[in-house]
Amino acid sequence: MTWLRADQLVVAIPGQTPCSEHALTIDFKPGEVWGVLGPNGVGKTTLLHTLASLTTPAMGQVMLDDTPLKDLHRTHIAQQVGVMFQAHQDGFPATVFETALLGRFPHLSPWDMESEQDLALAEQALAQLDLTSLVQRSLSTLSGGERQRAALATLLTQQPEIWLVDEPTNHLDLHHQVAVMALLKEQALRQKTVIMSLHDVNLAAQWCSHVLLLYPDRAPIWGRAETLLTQEYLEPLYRQSLAVTEVNQRPVFVPVAQVYKSID
Amino acid sequence: MLDVRSKARVTRRAIFLPIALLVLLAVLSMVLSVTQGSVALSPSAVWQALQGQGSILNQTVVMELRLPRVLSAFATGGLLALAGALMQILLRNPLADPYVLGISGGASVAALAAILLGLTGLLMSGMAFIGAALSTLLVFGLAGQLSHNSTLRLLLTGVVIAAGWGALITLILALAPPDKLPGMLYWLMGDLAYAHTPWLAWLVLVPVTVLLVPLGRSLNLLARGPMQAAALGVNVKGLERLVFIVASLLTAVAVTTAGSVGFVGLVVPHMLRLVLGNDQRLILPASALAGGCLVTLADTLARTVIAPEQLPVGVITALLGVPTFLYLLQRGRV
Amino acid sequence: MMIKITAFARILIGLLLSWVPLGAHAEQRCVIDDKAREVCLDKPAQRIAALSPGATELIFAAGAGAQVVAVVSYSDYPPAAQQITSVGSHTRLDLERLIALQPDLVLAWGTGNPSEQIDTLKRLGLPVYYVEPHEFGDIADNIVNMAVLAGTEPEGRAEAQRFRRGIAALQQRYQGAAPVPTFYQVWDSPLMSTNGEHYISKVVSLCGGENVFADADRLIPRLSQEVVLLRNPEVIVAGGMGERNAHWLEAWRAFPELLATQRDNLFFVPPSLIQRPTPRLLDGAAILCEKLDQARARRPF
Repeated sequence: MTWLRADQLVVAIPGQTPCSEHALTIDFKPGEVWGVLGPNGVGKTTLLHTLASLTTPAMGQVMLDDTPLKDLHRTHIAQQVGVMFQAHQDGFPATVFETALLGRFPHLSPWDMESEQDLALAEQALAQLDLTSLVQRSLSTLSGGERQRAALATLLTQQPEIWLVDEPTNHLDLHHQVAVMALLKEQALRQKTVIMSLHDVNLAAQWCSHVLLLYPDRAPIWGRAETLLTQEYLEPLYRQSLAVTEVNQRPVFVPVAQVYKSID
Repeated sequence: MLDVRSKARVTRRAIFLPIALLVLLAVLSMVLSVTQGSVALSPSAVWQALQGQGSILNQTVVMELRLPRVLSAFATGGLLALAGALMQILLRNPLADPYVLGISGGASVAALAAILLGLTGLLMSGMAFIGAALSTLLVFGLAGQLSHNSTLRLLLTGVVIAAGWGALITLILALAPPDKLPGMLYWLMGDLAYAHTPWLAWLVLVPVTVLLVPLGRSLNLLARGPMQAAALGVNVKGLERLVFIVASLLTAVAVTTAGSVGFVGLVVPHMLRLVLGNDQRLILPASALAGGCLVTLADTLARTVIAPEQLPVGVITALLGVPTFLYLLQRGRV
Repeated sequence: MMIKITAFARILIGLLLSWVPLGAHAEQRCVIDDKAREVCLDKPAQRIAALSPGATELIFAAGAGAQVVAVVSYSDYPPAAQQITSVGSHTRLDLERLIALQPDLVLAWGTGNPSEQIDTLKRLGLPVYYVEPHEFGDIADNIVNMAVLAGTEPEGRAEAQRFRRGIAALQQRYQGAAPVPTFYQVWDSPLMSTNGEHYISKVVSLCGGENVFADADRLIPRLSQEVVLLRNPEVIVAGGMGERNAHWLEAWRAFPELLATQRDNLFFVPPSLIQRPTPRLLDGAAILCEKLDQARARRPF
């Protein structure tokens, strides 16, 4: 059971002076599914990168089981914490299978070859993401959605305790959106921690147990999803008037063409 | 499913097989090269000469002339191909090559300066290393941060820097005293006619190739982008620095052995990736071996094809390299 | 097969020599080459490799043409040299072929042959004699030295004598001649001449000419047309590679302000007669002297 904790954390966003009043102190516990919500440019991606120790925070620190991330070896972090990026870097050509297999990297020593078990894990992950027919295809020949699923397959092969996922449903059709969210939810049921940034508030309402709302102009708030996902908190978040209805006992928010008036 | 695994080329056997084949090819190419030359020698005569038997003339030709040259050719090719493969990972760009990016140009200028100052041996290699490293730093520094360079910017920077070194070379040649000129000219095109001490090249090539194998998986990740690599546990900065130093060292040693032979670092890793995939644990040692084969065979051609006139080996490698480079650009795999 | 026969022949020669009691082979023959090195041979060189066209001419002049077994490209004089095995260009030698010819004397060109390749030959124990004449006297000395090494001293000394006398005669004749500012054009593009150190410039002086670029820093300076206009030579002499570069001279007709153009003093001297430091320089000098005489005759009084 691995705990990730943001401790008085303020992320470093280029061109912004960090403000200690906006610090985050959150325990991300196993079994929780966190949705990070906020308008464009508020620092959702930067937060995920900071939680994975890919970016240095402006203030505070991130702890993994009571040890600051900065004191941990990168391989050790990678054994516990996995990241899926939003923008996929165009590196060298590689096949889908090779891409999935990369996830085993932190678990192997330099002289090790991937074992049968590692190969099986990659195959399983690819099957789970509906990519079995594409295993030998070069990544560069795939559609955006297929690439997105391949990236998730890498994460699934990595089997981290903490899942940091940046916009998991980007480029995905409706069927695969649901499949991917179900897959992430399943990880939480296996006592992993899932933290994802989302731009679709309804996905958060349907799948997340907790949410973190990052406001551009005031202190962030976090807590249980059903408490925070209300018009009261969301309208100032997006500066957008919303209408709300309910489907399957879950709220559904719809933007309405009406001028948003700040309550302040 | 089994098919997938065999094609994934990650088992020890899948690495061992192509390497064993390439080792065989390497031995064959060196044997072929040792038996070819202006003096017609039968394989058995060569074998006798290698054992210190047979006529004095045969022994001189084989031991003093051919063998050092063949060994130098192989090591040079191995060094350059390995340097090319490493730079391609570092820049995540299959067009990277010590020659194209002006790295060997920097090493050449430094080596020429060393000749002007009367330095030889290790001191000259050291100068060449500084030249290569300086050139690499310039290309990287001017092309922008490692993490987000664009192909065009990088290539343009490399081309301009290579042109700058070319001008410096011409300047040094114009100012050099006439008795140093003939010795200097060969740096321009890459020539093995003067290579008679292959040992430094081999001493660098073999350990570096072996030590790179355990780094192969990290390099695989680096090839996919620094963020992805860092997220999966690679110490990206450290690895990039190491690759940079090693690639400069390899280039410098190659240049002090044979001048600036072009395009080997571009052609060899590319061909191998087409056939063997892109697992660096396989591609790096395979590049060293195949690069060695290529330059050994190219030099055999260079010294026999219009004998007694001798061609610089760089002519042959450039004739192979230019179309490959254009083809790569054309296919847009950059 | 060739190799075996020659090896056999060498053994035979060796046997024969050993039969000559107290033979001349016992005494070493030593000379000083153009790099001030002492070169010694135990017996006359029988298999000589000449690694520049100039060296080939000199060794033929020394009377040892028949002993030459290897030459390099462009060794076209005397015509007999063209029949000898070539070991590549002087800048990139086919060492294997050279070694296989088993030379017992190598005539190397210090500034023309790659030093690494010559060092390899030395390492293999071959006697190397550097040829790099800068003065008329050097040419004669080289002929004598080569004759000593090749055991053809009578022929060599006679030819050296002929050359020395010829030069002395020209020297005497033009000692008091009116000086003629002369531009010798080595090459067209880039435009090149020689400075006073070069033997071509010495030929110009010999004929009573004044090399207008004698003061240049480099042996073969690169020039602009402007500098030539500024120095305004009375005579322009063109050399070049072959015999078909009259257009080099024609180009100067575009500058009527040049004294040489005004007086039509644009002359051609076959480059092979003047650009190689060999006895043929005497023929080149005779032609050049005659051209300068013509120029003097065209002076208005």
